[in-house]
Amino acid sequence: MLRLPADGGCRFPVIALHHLVKQYGQFTAVDDIDLDVASGEIHGFLGPNGAGKTTTLRMIGGLLKPTSGRIVVNGHDLATHPEDAKASLGYIPDRPFIYEKLTAGEFLRFHAGLYGLEDTGVGARVREMLELFELGRWEHELVESFSHGMKQRLVMSAAFLHRPRSVVVDEPMVGLDPRGARLIKDVFRRMSAHGVAILMSTHTLEVAQEMCDRISIILKGRIIARGTVAELRSQSGGGDGELTDVFLKLTGGSGLQELDDVV
Amino acid sequence: MTHAFPYLLAPHLWSARNRARRRERGDFARGCLFGAVGLVVFAGLYQGSYWLTGQLEDYAELGDYLLRLGLSWLFLTFLSFLAFSGVVTALSTFFLSEDLRLLLAAPVATRRIFHARFLRTIGQASWMVVIFLAPVLMGIGRARCAPFAFYATTLLTVAPFVVIPVAAGTAVTLLLVNTFPARRARDILMLMGLLFAASLVILLRFIRPEQLLRVESLPDLTDFFATLQSPIGPLLPSFWAGEALFSALRGQRDLLHIGALWTTALAFVVMLRAAHERWYFAGFSRSQEASKARFNRLRALDAIARALPLSPVRRQLLIKDVKIFLRDVGQWSQLLLLLALVLVYLYNFRVLDLDRIPYMSVFVKNVYAFVNLAMAGFVMATVAVRFVFPAVSAEGAAFWIIRTAPISLSDFLWSKFWTGLVPVLTLTEGLTVTANQFLGVDPFLKVVAALAVVFMSLALVGLAIGLGARYPRFGADASQVAGSYGGVAFMMQAVLFIIVIIGLLGWPSSLYVLHQARAVPLTYTQLSLMSLCFAAAAALSLATWGASMRSGVLALERMGD
Repeated sequence: MLRLPADGGCRFPVIALHHLVKQYGQFTAVDDIDLDVASGEIHGFLGPNGAGKTTTLRMIGGLLKPTSGRIVVNGHDLATHPEDAKASLGYIPDRPFIYEKLTAGEFLRFHAGLYGLEDTGVGARVREMLELFELGRWEHELVESFSHGMKQRLVMSAAFLHRPRSVVVDEPMVGLDPRGARLIKDVFRRMSAHGVAILMSTHTLEVAQEMCDRISIILKGRIIARGTVAELRSQSGGGDGELTDVFLKLTGGSGLQELDDVV
Repeated sequence: MTHAFPYLLAPHLWSARNRARRRERGDFARGCLFGAVGLVVFAGLYQGSYWLTGQLEDYAELGDYLLRLGLSWLFLTFLSFLAFSGVVTALSTFFLSEDLRLLLAAPVATRRIFHARFLRTIGQASWMVVIFLAPVLMGIGRARCAPFAFYATTLLTVAPFVVIPVAAGTAVTLLLVNTFPARRARDILMLMGLLFAASLVILLRFIRPEQLLRVESLPDLTDFFATLQSPIGPLLPSFWAGEALFSALRGQRDLLHIGALWTTALAFVVMLRAAHERWYFAGFSRSQEASKARFNRLRALDAIARALPLSPVRRQLLIKDVKIFLRDVGQWSQLLLLLALVLVYLYNFRVLDLDRIPYMSVFVKNVYAFVNLAMAGFVMATVAVRFVFPAVSAEGAAFWIIRTAPISLSDFLWSKFWTGLVPVLTLTEGLTVTANQFLGVDPFLKVVAALAVVFMSLALVGLAIGLGARYPRFGADASQVAGSYGGVAFMMQAVLFIIVIIGLLGWPSSLYVLHQARAVPLTYTQLSLMSLCFAAAAALSLATWGASMRSGVLALERMGD
């Protein structure tokens, strides 16, 4: 059942996962997940390393075939109508690929072509996105000369280029300086205010606490908790603690005692 | 608006354009070198095929028959090469290429991806064959004063001919990726390497080129032709291509075989596309899973490393380098290809029954020993540039571990040297000794060649390591490193070195063989000059080795300046 965001507005799920399973041989990486992200919602997807976050996001991005279950993006079943589903989705992987010998402008124009954007107006849209992500003066520079943070911002500008209805983003803050991180947060908030559904995996719990309307916590392939930060606090039995404490309680302790022994 | 499938190839074209516009250091030298080598090979192939076709014309119908047979053999060889190349290339273009993650996340129809990727696979798998065929067929055409229609037929024949085996190879890849355990996708490369090696040897057994040298000894010429023709099946596209071109040479039109080529190519593409639409995504999804670690114990390697008289630092560096190499199938599967070529090379010596050829004197046989040594030198240079030269660059982003560890850079570089020397020396020494044994070379020359390989290995591996340390490219993969400015510089110096060494060894050795053949003893002056040449070759090798390693260590030490 769709859970509405905190403001209670009547929004439909743009991303919906139904009984999603992914197995690698005998190992179950994602185990019967149900998840929905409504229009305008920023949904945090948290979990320890190897919990199944990236596998789930890659299935939504159309890069991995689910063993079973359904993925619906903007009303289109990804298995039966992959092109329609992908056309309304922006996907930002954890390790993005960019053609190193293309310029930033060329890369975005190629991306626009992939998503069927009309030739007229593409140039203006490309410049608009480059300016938004503070890459305007690098439009004609080869990607190979970019720093990690610049590449990250370029990939994000590509993901938002075709005005997607939903965005799936894996670890958006890795490698970004404070200014870059702030910029990305602002962009995400503005996009969400315009109705874009954002599903975001992150290890930076402060970012999740600050930005996400709802959070799902995944452990060993299963979602073990879901709700707003306040709801998660009550589920973990904690008081007004930080999300970090809630997260550690839900996913199995801090291990500080063992640390003391080792040190 | 949806762009047609060639749009998906646009980034590669734009990247090539950008690369051409923004030249890097050494691009000009590399372009000149490769251009010159390419021109020489092109001219050689053209002249060779022109000369051979002209010679065959002297034998009237027999010459015609041999030319027809030669065309079929040529295309049969390429058929197997293209099929193998198709398998390996399709694995990369359809399943392992990094940009697929970008394309598959975009709303691009599977059919468009198929068309774009298949076109790229055909291009990557067949460009070498096409470049080789062009001068050969032009030479044949000129020797036979072929009409324009021959050249038009060439285009009409070669185009569908390359599509058929590449499509078959791509289908095999699709099948294997969907059949094999998911975590073994890259292992297919290794399997294919072995299959190709085996198929090359089998192909040569089928063709039996040595039969050509036994014409006189055969009682019946008809038997001879029957022996030659039997393995070439008229059902193979190579036969159709050979027949179509032979007809065009004589001013005739063989529409049947050209039609067979085009309809088969079309049928293969249609069937492959259907299979792709059905099974591609499942296969791609499997190939995305992390590759399973192989050789994850390697206790024998640890035991061997412990038994070697090495310092703990060098021992750990050796273990690390060998393990990383063994676990990277993409690296050593290329060695399998080289091994296949070496097998074919040795097989040729094995089957060449030189005694049956009256004009093949003892002297010519011994000259072959030096041709063999030069060949071993070039194999050594090729292996060194591909596997030894990138050794320092292979540290990649992890080089900081070496730089910050309490080990000397000299220790590090010498460890790289010994790790590279052992396989290079083993391979080339084995090649030289076996080939000379098959040829029945004079024992003195056997010893000279065997010793020369030892000295050449020290020098060339040292040169590769030294230049690799002076011109490292930490961000690039091994094949890119081999083709970089430093790699080209190494190849040029290595070729020069080999030529000088062969010159220094060739003159005294030929002098010795001539005197042996005529049963004339060598004078004292001649013996002194011979010794001087041998000593000069040894000194040059040792100097190249020492100077290269020293300059490599200095370059690494200066890296932090």
